[in-house]
Amino acid sequence: MEHEVREEHGLSIAAFRGDIDFNTSPEARRVLLELVENRQDLMVDMSSVDYIDSSGVASLIEAFQSAKTTGSRFGLVAVSPPALRVLQLAHLEKVLPIYDSVAAAADA
Amino acid sequence: MSEHGLQAVVEPTGEDELSGYLDLLAAIGQDFAMSLDVDETLRISLTRIMDYLDAAAASIFLLENNDTEIVCRVSVGASDITGLRLKYGQGIVGQSIAEQASLMVRDVRSDPRFNRSVDEKTGFTTRSILCAPVSVNDLYLGAVEVINKRGGDGLFEESDRQALRALAASAAMAIRNATLTRSLIEQERVQRELELVAELQQSLLPKPQPAPFPVHGINMPARTVSGDFYDYFALPDGRIYFDLGDVAGKGVQAALLMAKASSLVRCLGKTVHDPGTLLGMVNREICETAARGMFVTMVVGLYDPATGRVRLSNAGHEPPLHLMPDGHFDNFAAEAPPVGVSADLFPEGKFPETEFELGDGSLYIFTDGMTEGRVTGVGQLGIDGVKSYLTDFADLPIEERLEVLANKFIEPGVPLHDDLTILVLEKRD
Repeated sequence: MEHEVREEHGLSIAAFRGDIDFNTSPEARRVLLELVENRQDLMVDMSSVDYIDSSGVASLIEAFQSAKTTGSRFGLVAVSPPALRVLQLAHLEKVLPIYDSVAAAADA
Repeated sequence: MSEHGLQAVVEPTGEDELSGYLDLLAAIGQDFAMSLDVDETLRISLTRIMDYLDAAAASIFLLENNDTEIVCRVSVGASDITGLRLKYGQGIVGQSIAEQASLMVRDVRSDPRFNRSVDEKTGFTTRSILCAPVSVNDLYLGAVEVINKRGGDGLFEESDRQALRALAASAAMAIRNATLTRSLIEQERVQRELELVAELQQSLLPKPQPAPFPVHGINMPARTVSGDFYDYFALPDGRIYFDLGDVAGKGVQAALLMAKASSLVRCLGKTVHDPGTLLGMVNREICETAARGMFVTMVVGLYDPATGRVRLSNAGHEPPLHLMPDGHFDNFAAEAPPVGVSADLFPEGKFPETEFELGDGSLYIFTDGMTEGRVTGVGQLGIDGVKSYLTDFADLPIEERLEVLANKFIEPGVPLHDDLTILVLEKRD
């Protein structure tokens, strides 16, 4: 898994590439929580995520829950089909805000 | 501890010294063999070395903090510097470690490497220093340092330097052995505690019930403890609650949440005869008290043998499969996210339910250890593979069927990919 953090439309964007699994999710969790703790409005760009397992989903959930308590925005943008399938199976697409693009997230 | 490539070598210079070394080496070897208290044994051995070399003080420094520091672990003689912390490479002892070389400084006053601040603190006057690295093959542990020869001209000899190298090598072996022994003891203690957790977990699973009781389950942890659970129990009116869950994550943290979730269902189920409401209550409780990011996918159902109807609520779990006698499958996809994600989801907190007729079919609820499990010669089974197995083994008696299914994932000598749990509900005569 690789990641980069950028600013776009006044939002912090954390983009992950590759697999977010048992081995890589601690790193994803660290990146996301650091941004949320800085009270930045955060969107996770998941367009290049090939695979996500339950530990990866747990990292997203933890960031989502932390953002709720700090009052900042959290959501997913451009979720890749394999990652979306996992989120849909767990019915999480109804809980986590998901947008087609960063621009759509900024307008929401 | 560093990894480089030197080894301490015994280089005796004469017969008398040789017999002296051997006696001392034998004594030190016995000291270490008799004790697991490394510090105390190092103290005894260091005193023997100090006396043998007729030195005023001796100390052992070990590498710490990812080899960025060296710390005086034990010190004997006139100057007590136990706990003294130096940066890697600092002082003469630091250089001995960094270069993996035994060093002899006959007069420290003229040596720029000498760190005077220690003498200033202790009031001791260092004149000469002898240092040897403590290492076992490529494993660098630290160095032993002796200070001020007491007899003669007060200066160490070349033979002293060689003796110390040999003694340091013996100390290194002893430190390594004691460290290995200690970590083995610690590993065994942790393993014993995990086994106690596993025992408690197994006790939370329900006992198998004979026919006509319609529910049967199986659980195989991938490691000692499991994040999966299942349960079933009859209500006084004859209806039967059943549930199965999978905690995200592994290890003791998952095991604790598993225990909590399954206990909540059992306790609340006795008074709340409504799977959706029950899941809503469990969700609120877990959202309130579990660590962030921890969640449980679970299915709770209530079966009424009198009517044959099943009410089912699925919180983010793999869709349960209903296999009909004609081979047709229905599935019940999650209509709610996992428990523990968000407290304020549905009006009045009730999770959605589905209701259906069990008929002569079988309802299978299972964890992703089954769909994502690997079967020899097949690879990851996937949902189609699961369906094909369920069809193939449909005629076996319920207990045997679950055993046969679970055994498909067992390959001798290979640990399970994930915890595997299966629950089946069907009419039994």
